[in-house]
Parts: sequence; C-alpha cells; structure tokens
Amino acid sequence: MDLFANLAHGFAVALSPINLLMCLIGALVGTLVGVLPGIGTIATVAMLLPITFGLPPVGALIMLAGIYYGAQYGGSTTSILVNIPGEAGSVVTALDGHQMAKQGRAGPALAIAAIGSFFAGCVATVLIAILGGPLTKLALAFGPAEYFSLMVLGLIFAVVLAKGSLLKAIAMIVFGLLLSMVGSDIETGASRMAFNIPELADGLGFATVAMGVFGFAEIIRNLDHGAELNRDLVQQKITGLMPTRKDLIDSAPAIGRGTVLGSILGILPGGGAVISSFAAYTLEKKLAKNPSRFGRGAIEGVAAPEAANNAAAQTSFIPLLTLGIPPNAVMALMVGAMTIHGIVPGPQVMQKQPDLVWGMIASMWLGNLMLIIINLPLVGIWVRLLRVPYRLMFPSIVIFCAIGIYSVNNAPVDVIMAGVFGLVGYWLIKHDFEPAPLLLGMVLGPLMEENLRRALLISRGDWSVFVSRPLSAVLLAIAAALLVLAVLPALRAKRDEVFVESES
Amino acid sequence: MAETMGQTASSTRNTKAALGILVLALAPQLFELVWSLGTIIGLGTGRGPAQVLLAHGAALLSAAPNAVFGSVAADAKKGFSSDVLLALIYSYPLFAVAIVTLFVKIRAPQDYIGGIVLLALALLALWASSDLQGMRGFSFGAGTAPRMFGVLMLALGAGIAGMGLFADGPELGHYSWRGPLFVCAAIIFFALAIRPLGLVVSAFASFMIAAFGSHETRWVEAIIVGAALTLGCALLFPYVLGLPMPMFPRFLIQ
Repeated sequence: MDLFANLAHGFAVALSPINLLMCLIGALVGTLVGVLPGIGTIATVAMLLPITFGLPPVGALIMLAGIYYGAQYGGSTTSILVNIPGEAGSVVTALDGHQMAKQGRAGPALAIAAIGSFFAGCVATVLIAILGGPLTKLALAFGPAEYFSLMVLGLIFAVVLAKGSLLKAIAMIVFGLLLSMVGSDIETGASRMAFNIPELADGLGFATVAMGVFGFAEIIRNLDHGAELNRDLVQQKITGLMPTRKDLIDSAPAIGRGTVLGSILGILPGGGAVISSFAAYTLEKKLAKNPSRFGRGAIEGVAAPEAANNAAAQTSFIPLLTLGIPPNAVMALMVGAMTIHGIVPGPQVMQKQPDLVWGMIASMWLGNLMLIIINLPLVGIWVRLLRVPYRLMFPSIVIFCAIGIYSVNNAPVDVIMAGVFGLVGYWLIKHDFEPAPLLLGMVLGPLMEENLRRALLISRGDWSVFVSRPLSAVLLAIAAALLVLAVLPALRAKRDEVFVESES
Repeated sequence: MAETMGQTASSTRNTKAALGILVLALAPQLFELVWSLGTIIGLGTGRGPAQVLLAHGAALLSAAPNAVFGSVAADAKKGFSSDVLLALIYSYPLFAVAIVTLFVKIRAPQDYIGGIVLLALALLALWASSDLQGMRGFSFGAGTAPRMFGVLMLALGAGIAGMGLFADGPELGHYSWRGPLFVCAAIIFFALAIRPLGLVVSAFASFMIAAFGSHETRWVEAIIVGAALTLGCALLFPYVLGLPMPMFPRFLIQ
C-alpha cells in the first residue's frame, strides 16, 4: 500500500543519524522552552530560524517541528509541579495537575500527561500520513479563486478562535497584510511604501518582525512585572511515577476524547494547541458525572488537555504540508523556514520533496518517543532549570536574538528593525492587540495578493468569480457563517467563558 | 461638586489625548525634521532641516486651499507634491480626529487610542501608496492591493475607536521606561558595534547594557554569565554553525 511505503520511506529518512540528532535537539530545546516561562514557542522558533541556515532542509524542519511539539510536553511539567504554565497550551493543565501535585500525586500526573501526549502524538502522526495524500489531490484542483477564498476562510477561523475582540484580531491581520506589502511588488517591480529607504526595498524580513514582536516585546513586557517571577516549587521529592490501575482506567477515555478533539481543532486554521486544550478541558467537565471534582485534582483534567494540545500541535502541520497555508503563527514561521531553504510551501511539496514531508512525519513519531524518555526519568533536571532567574535569562535572550537576526543577512539594520518591532509589539500588548494574527497576515499577504490578482485576471475583472465557482462559494459561505456566529451574543458569551475559566 | 470634578478630570484627559493625536498627526513631518538634523553634521543624505521645515510648513498651509481649488480644476491632483499629499491624506484627517476627541466621552481609552493609532497607520499606508499605479484594465497595479487593505484597515481602526466611545473598557496600560530603554539601547549598540568591534566585544557589552533593564540585576553574577554566554556564542555561531561573522575589533586585527 502507498501509505505504508511512504511511511517506510519517511522512517528511512528520519532514522539517518543527522536527522535523529536534529530531532533530539529539537525535542530537547522544545522541552527547555516549554519548561522556562517567559520565553514562548514562537519566539524560540523565530530565534532558531537563522541557525538552521547551515543545515540541510529536512534536518532543519525536523528540528523546528520538534521544538513545537516538544514545548507542549515541557509546558505540562512546570504546570503540574510549579503551577506556572511554561507554555500557553498547558495553562489548563495547571488547574488539576498542580492540585494533584499538592496531594502528593505529582508522579502519576506527570506520567498520565506524558502517556496522553504520546498516545495523541501517535494518532496524530498516522492522521497526517492518511490525510496528506487526499488533501493534496484536492488542493491540486484549486484555482486562484479557491485559494483566495480558502485563505480568507483560514484567516476568519483564526480570528474566531482567537482570544479577545474580533474587530481587533481582524485589524491585526490587515496590519500584517499591509506590512507584507512593503518592498518591491512581485509583478511590476515597483517599490511600495518603502519611503525611499534602500533597506526597505527588499521588504520587511519575516524573521525580523517575528523576533521583534514575539521575542523582544515579550522580554520588555516581562520586565514590567519585575524580573522575579513568583516560583514556589513543590519541594518534596517526586515518588512513584507509576499511575495506579484506577488512574489509567479513569484517564483512558479522556485521553481518547482529547486526542479526537485536538486533532480536529489542530487542522482548523487558527486553532492549534492553545484552544484545543481549553476545549478538551471544558468538554471533560461537561461530561463528568461529578464536575465539582475538577479543579481539585481530577486526573481527567490533566489527561484530556495534554492529549489535545499535543494532537493539535501535530495535526496543524496538515494544512501547511498539503495546502501550503499555515494555520497558526508557529506554522507561519515554518513557512519562513521553508522559504529560507528555497522550498515553496504548497501541494507540490508532497510530490517534489517526499523526503522532506514523510521524513518530517516519521520524525514526529520518533520525537514523541524521545520526549517520553526526556521528560519522565529526567524530570528532576528540568525542574532544577526553573531556578535560573529571569534577571540572567533576559539579557541572554536579547543577545541571542540580536546575533540571530544579524546572521540572516549580515545586516545591522535588520537588528534595529527588530528592535523597532519590539516596541511596536509592546505597544500592541498594552492595547490588548494579539500579535499572532499579525504574523499570520504577514505570511499570507503575498499569497493572497497573488491569487487575487490571478483570479481577477482570469475572470477578466469580474469579481463574481469568487461566488460563481462552487468550491470558492462554499468556502466563502462558511467564512461568512462563522463570522456571523461569532458575533451572535450566545456564542460570544460561550467563547469568553472558555477563556475566563482558565484565568480564574 | 463631585460631578464637576469628574468632568474636569475627563476633560483634562481628553485634552491630553487630543494633544497626543495632534503630535501623531505631525509625526512624519517631525520625524523627517529630526532626521534632517543629521545632514548638518554630514550624516545621511536628504533635505536639510531648513528646507524640511519650509516645505512641510508650506504644504500644511497650502494644502487646504489647493484641495478646494484642485477639486474645481479637474485633474489638478496629479500636480500635488508628496508633501502636500501627506498633509492632505494623513495630517488633516488626524487634525479632525484630534478636534473631535476634545468633545467626546471616551469610555474605553485603551480601545479608543488603539483604534486611532491604527487609523493613522492606515492613512500613512494610503499616503505611501498614493504614488503607485492603480488598476490597469483587468490587472492589478502595484498600488491596488495596498490601497484596498489600507482602506479596510482605516475602517477597522475607526470601528475600534468607535467601540471605545460606546462600550466601557479598560484604562490605558502603564508603561515602564526602564525595560524598553535598556533593551533597545542594547539592541542598537549591538547593531552599531557588530561590524567595527566584532562579536566578542559587542555581545558582552550589549549583555551588560540589557542587564541594566532590571533593578534586580546582581553585577558579579551578570558579568560571569555574560562572559560565559559570549564565549558560547563565539564558538556556536562562527564555528559550529558556520555563519561568517567578525570576531574581534578591526583595529586589533590589523
């Protein structure tokens, strides 16, 4: 069968020593990032983009992917032990996980989180392999009008599932679209919005903006609160990693549900790990016979979100690999990584670069296996890392980012631009604007403009092409329906409730 | 009594906001003025400060009558200089917003100011793309998409600002100066120093500058970590990753 042949090929690629090493480095760095609060996945992937320059493309992408799903594992460790989610995706894990740790059941909580994540990771890997082929075929049938509509749908999804005001999220996407247009026009070569500054003629570097808005801005924001984050560790030794039989029976269905929910939400644009862990937790609470146990150390409250966020982290690769459309900000950075290596993301990647796609898919399974080993027996080492104070971490991150940006083009101006975007990002945070949609808009900008141009050229300037082609019309209709649903008061309240729960 | 006090408080706030928007409305002109000061000491190229002041002053004053007569004499728009267009497209609408700000009740300052700044960015983008070609028959010109998204963002910015007038919301956040200042100083120093001074010196110095950003920094500790990090980066980037980079100050090598 095709699928197994492909997977076998993928494992052959992923098991080569260099790729194994890259996978291990990615998983380690991911865990580190997940454990340390104050440095997010997006910032890390942005920071390491330039470093992957010298690597072969397959190894580079395997490493970056490892960081993303590795962070989901690491985040759960600190959530459970210290009640500090190192990663946004594991915020809900802290609710019940830390309660379990306080009751002296940190070991089972960690074990269930790891088992749940591993199970979800396995399922998601298979899902990517199965869905990859058919979706690619579908994508090849897409014309420019369909592509444009699909991107609109993706952006709308991202807005609806994002936290906070709809209007603000849309504004951020449009801001990103505008930023993407700075520089030379692809078709006419005219210099756009560059203000006669030669450094802007090439456009704003994607890594530069990402590092500014996520790296520098986050540091500046964290310094506001004082560098010392409150960290009362659970000091007692973690004894007995093995969960009891009852724990396993209780959490098995929760892991299953979390995996399904996470896989679905991961494929949808805008979803990703964060929203799926919230959704999984809410679902468990709704289904439970005795909801009052939640928040007091219910093991389902650890199992479901952990399975969900890991599943989502992996299935969000599906739209990227098959359609070439990034569903969230981390995937947007992966597009950046692909373009650095001269790969244009899209349906043709599956056929032209089978090594890359299947190698990456196989590496995800291997990475999950490594992560179990990295996380469970070595948990003590990671906890000790939490004692590294932020006052030493933040200057290190600043320097590392600065060197990283400089090395992309050997251009000092890029470093200053990232600094400027750091201030922009700080301002955005202060005014409650989410920076993630901005990044998404910036990546999709050139693609959207190109497809819009082409669609209108083919239809001889007739705008109705977007609704007269059935596939495109359906996509736009879904987008419109979503937007309407999102502003309906009933659903709005629900959407806010999901987020409020995690904060209280 | 309490009512009047509340009113004065909100009116001083409105005045402050309006003044802020006024500065924003003139920001591009002021920016060019500051930039042009550099030409005095021979840095950079472009118009001198006197020229900038004159050109923009004239543009700001003459834009209004020009616009009125321009609309009478059709097709006169093409003759406008970029300075006049800046005044027309960017500054004037924001002047209007500043005046409006004086008379409205701002219920969510965070949203209101946020929306207005986005609005200003959209106007700036519209001005910056005003010299680009529009639609040519069926095909997009270079300026079509920027203008389309610019108009969209204009509407969204206005919408967000409008929400700040009709729904209660949070106050402006508190900005601290220490973190942003020293982190930015470290970044700028690094950018300026990496070419002439090399990686070792600039990384270590930037680390120390950034460390000023927090009042909790302990200096001995910071020096040790900074030195270790510099050493690590000096090995990682040029040797392990093979990225070419100057290592030591130029004058030492020669």
